[in-house]
Amino acid sequence: MKTTFSIGGIHPNDSKISKDCKIEVLPLPEVVYVSMAQHLGAPATPVVKPGDTVKTGQVIAEPAGFISAFVHSPVTGTVKSVGPRKDLAGNNVTHVEISVEPDQWAEGIDTSDTLVVEIPQDNKFILDRIKACGVVGLGGATFPTHVKLCPPPGKKADCLILNGAECEPYLTSDYRIMLERSKEIIVGAAIMKQVLGGCRTVIGIEENKPEAIKVMSESLAELQKTAKGFDGIQVMSLKKKYPQGGEKQLIDAVMKRQVKSMGLPIDVGAVVQNVATSLAVYEAVQKNKPLITNVMTITGDCLPMERQHNYLFRIGMPLSYIAQVAGGVPESAAKIVSGGPMMGKAISNMDACTVKGSSSLLYFTDEQTRRKEASACIRCGKCADACPMGLEPFLLNKYARNGMMEELEENAIQDCIECGCCLYSCPANIPLLDVIRIAKGDVIRIIRGRAAAAKK
Amino acid sequence: MNTLLVSPSPHLHTKTSTASLMRDVVIALLPAVLVSVLFYGWSELLVLGVSVASCVLLEYLITKFLLKAPCTVGDWSAVITGILLALNLPASTPWWVVFVGAVVAIGVAKMTFGGLGQNLFNPAIAGRVFLLISFPTYMTDWTRTKGFISSSLDAFSGATPLGLVKEGGVAATESMDYLNMLFLNIGGSAGELSAIALTLGFIYLLVRRVIKPWITLSILGTVAVFSAICWGINPEQFTDPVFNLLTGGVLLGSMFMATDYVTSPMSNLGGVIFGVGIGLLTMLIRYFGAYPEGMSFAILIMNSTVPLINKFCHGKKYGR
Amino acid sequence: MTQTIIWTIAIITILGAVLAVVLFLVAKKFKVEEDPRIDQVEKVLPGANCGGCGQAGCHAFAQHCVESPDLGACFCPVGGNDVMQKVADVLGLKVEAKDPMVAVVRCNGTCENRPRTSEYGGYASCRVKASLYSGDTGCSFGCLGCGDCVSACSFGALSMDPQTGLPVVDQDKCTACGACVKACPKNVIELRKKGRKDMRVFVSCINKDKGAVARKACKAACIGCGKCAKVCPFEAITVENNLAYIDFNKCKLCKKCVAECPTGAIHAVNFPVIPPKPAAPAPKPAVAPAAPEAPAAEPVKKEE
Repeated sequence: MKTTFSIGGIHPNDSKISKDCKIEVLPLPEVVYVSMAQHLGAPATPVVKPGDTVKTGQVIAEPAGFISAFVHSPVTGTVKSVGPRKDLAGNNVTHVEISVEPDQWAEGIDTSDTLVVEIPQDNKFILDRIKACGVVGLGGATFPTHVKLCPPPGKKADCLILNGAECEPYLTSDYRIMLERSKEIIVGAAIMKQVLGGCRTVIGIEENKPEAIKVMSESLAELQKTAKGFDGIQVMSLKKKYPQGGEKQLIDAVMKRQVKSMGLPIDVGAVVQNVATSLAVYEAVQKNKPLITNVMTITGDCLPMERQHNYLFRIGMPLSYIAQVAGGVPESAAKIVSGGPMMGKAISNMDACTVKGSSSLLYFTDEQTRRKEASACIRCGKCADACPMGLEPFLLNKYARNGMMEELEENAIQDCIECGCCLYSCPANIPLLDVIRIAKGDVIRIIRGRAAAAKK
Repeated sequence: MNTLLVSPSPHLHTKTSTASLMRDVVIALLPAVLVSVLFYGWSELLVLGVSVASCVLLEYLITKFLLKAPCTVGDWSAVITGILLALNLPASTPWWVVFVGAVVAIGVAKMTFGGLGQNLFNPAIAGRVFLLISFPTYMTDWTRTKGFISSSLDAFSGATPLGLVKEGGVAATESMDYLNMLFLNIGGSAGELSAIALTLGFIYLLVRRVIKPWITLSILGTVAVFSAICWGINPEQFTDPVFNLLTGGVLLGSMFMATDYVTSPMSNLGGVIFGVGIGLLTMLIRYFGAYPEGMSFAILIMNSTVPLINKFCHGKKYGR
Repeated sequence: MTQTIIWTIAIITILGAVLAVVLFLVAKKFKVEEDPRIDQVEKVLPGANCGGCGQAGCHAFAQHCVESPDLGACFCPVGGNDVMQKVADVLGLKVEAKDPMVAVVRCNGTCENRPRTSEYGGYASCRVKASLYSGDTGCSFGCLGCGDCVSACSFGALSMDPQTGLPVVDQDKCTACGACVKACPKNVIELRKKGRKDMRVFVSCINKDKGAVARKACKAACIGCGKCAKVCPFEAITVENNLAYIDFNKCKLCKKCVAECPTGAIHAVNFPVIPPKPAAPAPKPAVAPAAPEAPAAEPVKKEE
């Protein structure tokens, strides 16, 4: 029986053009620039200085707070500089510049392809490995994984959900790893399940990826037959609906529970991890291999079939370099997006470099992506129908433009997940989310301020 | 490399636009328009033409010269108002009366509130009600004009079924054939003619997901239930449910006018409250009021409650 | 007939009387006692309700003034010294005169100086744009050009110059309420002293990138070379994070720095046009907006 989340949602064309392109390994560039802001939370503190030589997988930066993560050198080479460099959005972020030499992996890293199935029983060992290898959530938010796998005291995980929905149109990187690395992903899931106390584990995949469902189910059955620790894991087929991969929506779809406003998934006993994160957990725990690679999709309707790619990249590679390797930026591309078309960021600076969470280079033509001029709201309510959080974007838009903070809070603007369904579905092209996103930030600041004041 | 375009997410957009939604409504109205033209002939064409042309022209002139705002004719909403107004008028209405209706619809009910999206009342109904009160003779003259097709109904009395009932009591319905009314009503404004044509359009709108069925269904349901109860109590005094559903503007109003985006509630629950209100008011006016038909008044009255309904009816929010 | 009229009149009269009593009682019960001086103070205020004083509006400001022991922390930027003097008179307090201020746009990244590197296609708001990325030019510090400051100004003192893409302050209308300063997500706008005869010298740039980077992004950027700081006889200029800043309390309007600046990032406004040569040190400070270059000889009277 196929299931999905209960409120709102939209059905954009899924355009998985590159789904049949096998994962290729990108050649190394001459220089990499590794950002210190690879994750949500405080940017890491560099521990190398110019002139240092580093090996592939060696720590080059340490966490600068509880919510932060280690950063490792993606290459072997010499540190040339440590300083500000513009990121994807053109803002200055500290980068470590390393000139690249032939790969030489740091000690203790298993670079072989052998599948390691035995799951360590020592939770502390697992968590330490995950932390030391700098694993962060690869579903978009890049939240440090070890933090998420340690439920706060008094809270218990009932269900680990592995997010293989990949509901964003165009993206195929998760799909490819589910086909090509299915067993590693499942072992990763089993490891996380072990840490969380052996709760039920569901791998949710949207029905538009039947092969992924098939391959994952087969691998799971095989592992369950041959090894221990894989009971209670199941593959669940989900209806195709955006934003299925949203944490809150996935919990609703799989567990039929809803996270309270301003709450965390663990409040309802859920932990959600992306399939790519699960792969990273596998590599960290079983291979001691830090997170320095990930898979990204190069796609777009304006690219011919042979130039569609799924690449295994290393962090710190300039986007312009990757675009070049993939055959250059197509002439007709007006906008390049990193991440999915619904929630990804438009790139203003192609000199920016890949980070752990990079998932795509999407090329859109002017006609596809340029916003049309906004006209009057006709109160059709399509935004409210589309909102997966059950909000009323037309109302929030009105209140936000008038700075009506109390009304915004009453109407739950703080619950907005910025999925873009409202703006996508507005027939009058009103920039609903642009306005709501800013006001949401303001309201959340007010709520936090109030909470802090109440504590004192 | 070209200069890159940068904007906040999302980077894709639905193909549905205000104009495409409105165009769908126009398409949905075509069967009803066709039936009325076939039935009433050239004079109906004239009414339609004058109505649509003057609505569009007025909107153009007002946006251009009075509001000095971008022209909104391209969104097709004025066309809808024009068609709906025409479908609400007798085919014999003189052209200048139609024009006055258009002035009230577009000029007063729509543009003075700020144009599309701002109006409190459905423009077409406001126009029609204005005409009904100002020119009652023209508005109740249902003389059969010469149509493009002939039918067994050609020789009819010149009054609508509801009018007959108002004057002659329930007994008047005995001569009426409901099956016939389903296809071609025995009289009435163009939009009341064919239940089948209207329903076809309504189904088209549902399939295209232009509107949701709740408002329409709750109006029809309320009309049916309320008249069934009254009829059950006293069939001598009250007409039966089937008669009430098929006559007058109940179908046209519930399918095309009460479902107008701008003047109906946003939430499903609000829509149901709105629809029940319209249904009740319509039946109260029909059974106890001075006018034979209550749909227009009911919609107008309920239009005015929409802001209130919107304030109190919200959809289900996630996690609350 | 007569009876109907009598009844009607009687009912209405009784109704009116009852309601009047109810209203009277309600008014009495809910009456708010307020210091009468608040009203008096409010009367002398400009009534713009701009919030420039930091209070929610003129009434709140009046209340604030009345409740404060002295007027040191109260200042109405719109009314200026005159109004504050009046407030002080009402309350029987003393107030020190403050120098009039004016909003100054510290960015000279015109379309010409600062080529566009991308095209912004979202909602035309600086806040939205700033939250998205560094801007559609190479400079990640400068004006974003969507005019949030213009919409924030209640006095019509700001307008966007379509030619340069930058906001322009009309110093006669500017009341230094600071609304634009708050509205600008990039902190481009600063309140500076209006200056003697409205003459002001200021660094029209806030780019903290290294010289080469800044220069590449914008021809008129401050490159942090420090020449101005060296030449300044009054130590009014500091260079920090590759950016020069002129302290308007120390600046004596000698304009030596203006001549020294290699990129023309330092602007002097409202100086009388006199032959070349830097003018002799003049007394007071400051900086400002309108007419970027072209020192217009137009000594404007102080506000109020």
